[in-house]
Amino acid sequence: MKPPRFSYIAPRSVEHALEVLAASEEDAAVLAGGQSLVPLLNMRFARPEVVVDINGIAALDTIDITSQGVTLGATVRLSRVETDPGLRASMPVLPQAASFVAHPQIRNRTTVGGTLCHADAAAELPALAVALGARLHLRSLARGTRTENAEDFFLGTFSTTKAGDELLVAAEFPRHDGYWVGYDEVARRHGDFPFVGLCLALRMADGIVTAARAAAAGAGPRPVRLAALESELTGQRLTSSVAEAAAEAAAAEVDPPTDNHGTAAFRRGILRTLVRRMTTSQAKQEAA
Amino acid sequence: METREPREQIEISAVINDHAFNGEVPARMLLSDFIRHEAGLTGTHVGCEQGVCGACTVLLDGEPVRSCLLLAVQADGHIVETVESLAGDERLSAFQQAMKDEHGLQCGFCTPGILMSMAAAERHGYPAQTAEREMLGGHVCRCTGYVGIRAAIRRCWESGPRAERTETR
Amino acid sequence: MTATEQASMIGVRLPRVQDDRMLRGHGYYVDDIDEAGVLHAAIIRSPVAAGRLAAFDADAAREAPGVALVLGPDDIEPLVDAVPSSWLLMGQQITDWQIVSRTVRYVGQPLGVVVATSRAAAEDAAELVGMEFDDQPAVVGVPAAQAPGAPLLYPEVGTNQVGQLHVGSPVEELESVFATAAHVIDLTLTVPRISHSPLEPRGIVAEWLPATRQLTISSSTQVPHLVRQEVAHALRIRVDQVRVAAHDVGGSFGQKTTLFPDEGMICVAARMLGRKVKWIEDRSEALTASYQGRGTLSRSRLALDSHGRFLAIHADLHGDVGAFSSSGTGGTGPFQVAGLMIEGPYRYEKAGATISAWYTNAPPTAAFRGYGMQEGTWIRERLVDQAAHELGLDPVELRRANMITADQLPHVTHTGIPFDNGDYPAALARAAEIGAERCRPSSGRVRRGVGLASMVEITAYAPTFLQEMFQIHWSGWESSTIRVNEDGTVTVFSGVTSVGQGIETALTQVAAERLGVPPEWVSVQLGDTSTATYSNIASQASRALALAGAALWRAADTLRGRMLALAASALDTTPEAVRLSGELFESKEGATVSWREVAHRGWMGWGRDDPDRIRLEETVDFDPPSIAFGYATHGAQVAVDLDTGKVAVEDYWVVHDSGVVVNPLIAEGQIIGGVTMGLGGALHEQSTFDSSGQPTATSYLDYIVPVSEDVPDIVIEHFESPSPHIPGGFKGLGESGTIPPPAAIGNAIAAAVPEIARHLTTTPFHPSRIWTLLDEAGLTG
Repeated sequence: MKPPRFSYIAPRSVEHALEVLAASEEDAAVLAGGQSLVPLLNMRFARPEVVVDINGIAALDTIDITSQGVTLGATVRLSRVETDPGLRASMPVLPQAASFVAHPQIRNRTTVGGTLCHADAAAELPALAVALGARLHLRSLARGTRTENAEDFFLGTFSTTKAGDELLVAAEFPRHDGYWVGYDEVARRHGDFPFVGLCLALRMADGIVTAARAAAAGAGPRPVRLAALESELTGQRLTSSVAEAAAEAAAAEVDPPTDNHGTAAFRRGILRTLVRRMTTSQAKQEAA
Repeated sequence: METREPREQIEISAVINDHAFNGEVPARMLLSDFIRHEAGLTGTHVGCEQGVCGACTVLLDGEPVRSCLLLAVQADGHIVETVESLAGDERLSAFQQAMKDEHGLQCGFCTPGILMSMAAAERHGYPAQTAEREMLGGHVCRCTGYVGIRAAIRRCWESGPRAERTETR
Repeated sequence: MTATEQASMIGVRLPRVQDDRMLRGHGYYVDDIDEAGVLHAAIIRSPVAAGRLAAFDADAAREAPGVALVLGPDDIEPLVDAVPSSWLLMGQQITDWQIVSRTVRYVGQPLGVVVATSRAAAEDAAELVGMEFDDQPAVVGVPAAQAPGAPLLYPEVGTNQVGQLHVGSPVEELESVFATAAHVIDLTLTVPRISHSPLEPRGIVAEWLPATRQLTISSSTQVPHLVRQEVAHALRIRVDQVRVAAHDVGGSFGQKTTLFPDEGMICVAARMLGRKVKWIEDRSEALTASYQGRGTLSRSRLALDSHGRFLAIHADLHGDVGAFSSSGTGGTGPFQVAGLMIEGPYRYEKAGATISAWYTNAPPTAAFRGYGMQEGTWIRERLVDQAAHELGLDPVELRRANMITADQLPHVTHTGIPFDNGDYPAALARAAEIGAERCRPSSGRVRRGVGLASMVEITAYAPTFLQEMFQIHWSGWESSTIRVNEDGTVTVFSGVTSVGQGIETALTQVAAERLGVPPEWVSVQLGDTSTATYSNIASQASRALALAGAALWRAADTLRGRMLALAASALDTTPEAVRLSGELFESKEGATVSWREVAHRGWMGWGRDDPDRIRLEETVDFDPPSIAFGYATHGAQVAVDLDTGKVAVEDYWVVHDSGVVVNPLIAEGQIIGGVTMGLGGALHEQSTFDSSGQPTATSYLDYIVPVSEDVPDIVIEHFESPSPHIPGGFKGLGESGTIPPPAAIGNAIAAAVPEIARHLTTTPFHPSRIWTLLDEAGLTG
């Protein structure tokens, strides 16, 4: 189908974008990468009055790396996240997860902000944000800047706390010093949406897990923080029986969907497999 | 070109295959439709309008993108390259020739998008493995079964300077 | 006669003649047609699967910006006639289909059309059409259609059953064998509906010129003459008022093989407006409202004696026809062929199939590459492997022991199918050898296995007497014309069509070969009813090369003889003393005359022998005396991940015979493309519906087609058993690759994980389905 009628504006500053969003009274859609919005427009599932194209706002296209962590501006492309040498050095899980997203032709346009705001529960970046405790910076004309933990930001299927007059301007991923952080997923083919993805961060001392953070993609209506998995692993050595128990704990605490791509039981099975694989792999690394 | 108010018709200035286009476009017109019906370059094809099949792939400032997922207005101030820009008057490009020699196309509908992705892969100096796995992975072909396309990639890359590169992305 | 110096063009890997143009982006598909003066259409479709359209209010739509016309059922119905079906199933009562109806039978059913200045404007207006429906419960799938008390799609018929046909050995004889056999393998095997999903969706541009009262149509179609015939019939105009041209077609695979209701509406709109109206199908429409393929559910049995000899095979096959039995090669044909071809390359004491078809609230099913033979092969080859598994026999040896041998051919099956020639066991043996070389061990949580599947396939379809016997209204004969133009160039016309398969190149080679000229001199021009000879089946049923090639073979032979005679006359010698060397005819004495000069003289009528034969053009209508049967054994080696259920096809090989191969490059491309399509059906593809009949695979995110990663480099070996019936010895192969893969892959999975073998009865084998079977068998760990 062809998109419905809308008017379009490409502001050059955040302030101008916020003015337009405020004036549009919930009828605006923000155009960043367009890889999620334009298909919705093309199917007439999205019917905004105004499309606000933020790709020209230079202030949003920044990567800021400090000792505290990494701040990615909203319009940073996932292709850049994948290849940026600074990110590879300071927070390699970000490029690693980005490399799973679709294909280069999509990553050349997909943005950090767009992916987080679209909030597809099967997408990689939202799960990463929840696992790593990312803080999202949102701005509006009326209320200024607010900061929200990723875990609170994602409400449900394609649903976040972002108000109609708000713009997500940046996502801040704190450093987790001393943690090993990894992301893995099982998809039908490389680049397909995962059945389930897992972001796992482990802090180890003398072979014992002293802290764990984990979140799953595709295991529920929003990215799921796997608290039971975390507590099952904490204080343990990564033996195979611990991996099994952790896998069971993770499977038990999620409520995955059943759809054309698979049953809930299947997705639990995938999550179990990911937990086993990632903990086993980390155990081997520790031993080495 | 920045305006203060949202509009339904937008003036744009874009370059497509070395030709300048200046004119007004409806905000909702997709870049794929602009290329095909306004610029008259029908080599870029539309297969899904959902960004999955890859038939509409063009280069935007040298990067392969889905023209069905861009608004025409987003080409303002940018350079678009389509399949019509690849061959010389007399000769096909090296990859185009390899596609012909290896029977990498049948109905031809998906082909232009693949050609653009490979043109970008060549320019960026990607090794053959990346071209096959990452770039070709973003394309659907319903006719060939991909074997001929992969053979074309190998043939073209083997005979070019990128043959020596072994880095993987 | 070998009066030319040219090397043979048969068997040459000639790069394709259309590739330069395609690679440059100069394809000419229907949406590429210049839009000057064009109005654009959007189809108004039913959002419900079953019920009656109670109200259709187009007032607001007609006022919308840019709108030229809005038509609903009440506007269209008086202007059109129903289109007759071509091949009925025994007992079938409804023998035609409607362009429009207020009775809704599938989501996506066209109910009307909006024509406006742009597609976007037409869609805007379509949203303003007010429709109200009296919904009814939907019949989704064959079991629902069969259920006692099921809602009826056609109450006047009193059942959802379209008809039933039994072929082969009588039922009593079959049952008697099953009752007493030492072993009976009994499986219910399912092939879901799938979508052809060519990269180019359907599309049509129709122009009615009031001045000439002519309707000119460009369409993405495999069958321009059938579309012409059906449009004329539906619109109640003369066939000679209609011209249909198929330019470049971006794939079809059997879908674009009839006039569709929405296309009929476009023609009505064009006529009403006296304008050029364009409609291009979008991907959602293509996946959900266009015709689909396959859709069979079969309780199937194979009886064996204690030594593994096949005693009987029977399939009780139920086909999902959808909302109506479409015309052309659609409707129940694929189900009938599945039953007729159930036996494959094996001998049995008894064999048969009982074929039923059912109406359901879903889009009609149509011809789909493989045309029932994939479904039949799936049934048979899974039964055979399951038999090997249960009897503890080697699946290769079990096949070999029961296979029809070369000296047992020709062989008529119990269902009356006359297999011609070939060596089925040799293909099997070679495929087994390749499998032995390529099989890899299981490791860790990955199980590996090899599976084979053997088949015989209908190609070069079909003798006209057979069509008449079964009252199948497809023109089985084929025609080719070869013409030497006044300037010496050579043009070939035929009734077959190009959908990307390379037929132009193959026919170029045949023409060059038999006329004795370089291929560069030849232009093959297809697809326009103004110049293409009548063929209402065109490029389907693996017939284009074999039959158009056969006709061309003879026509070119004749024309070569005439050119030599004309040259001889110009050189004042005999034809035997003349040869063509490059662009010159040379006599033994060394006198020359150019090909071009001879062509010119020919068109002037000078120096000819035959008083009545002047035009330098020969047309041959070829009616094949028999179907030609290709055959193959395919092999697959798979890796099954016990933790994820993912199945990877790591290796795939094909040992195949389609007689004389004109262009091995093209032949291999067809096989590889076909295998890939079959692999899609095996692992990924299904057109799904919810319980209210809503399609749920509406985009490429949900309808999964193969990508490069899914397909290994495929090994292909050819045997060549020339057809005894086709000049040139060709058989067809366009569908061949699609027929065995689900069976080969299913058998490989069964070999890798015998614990779940008996449950591998339904494709696609996507990860969740396999994982669930593994989990139930306690293997997921």
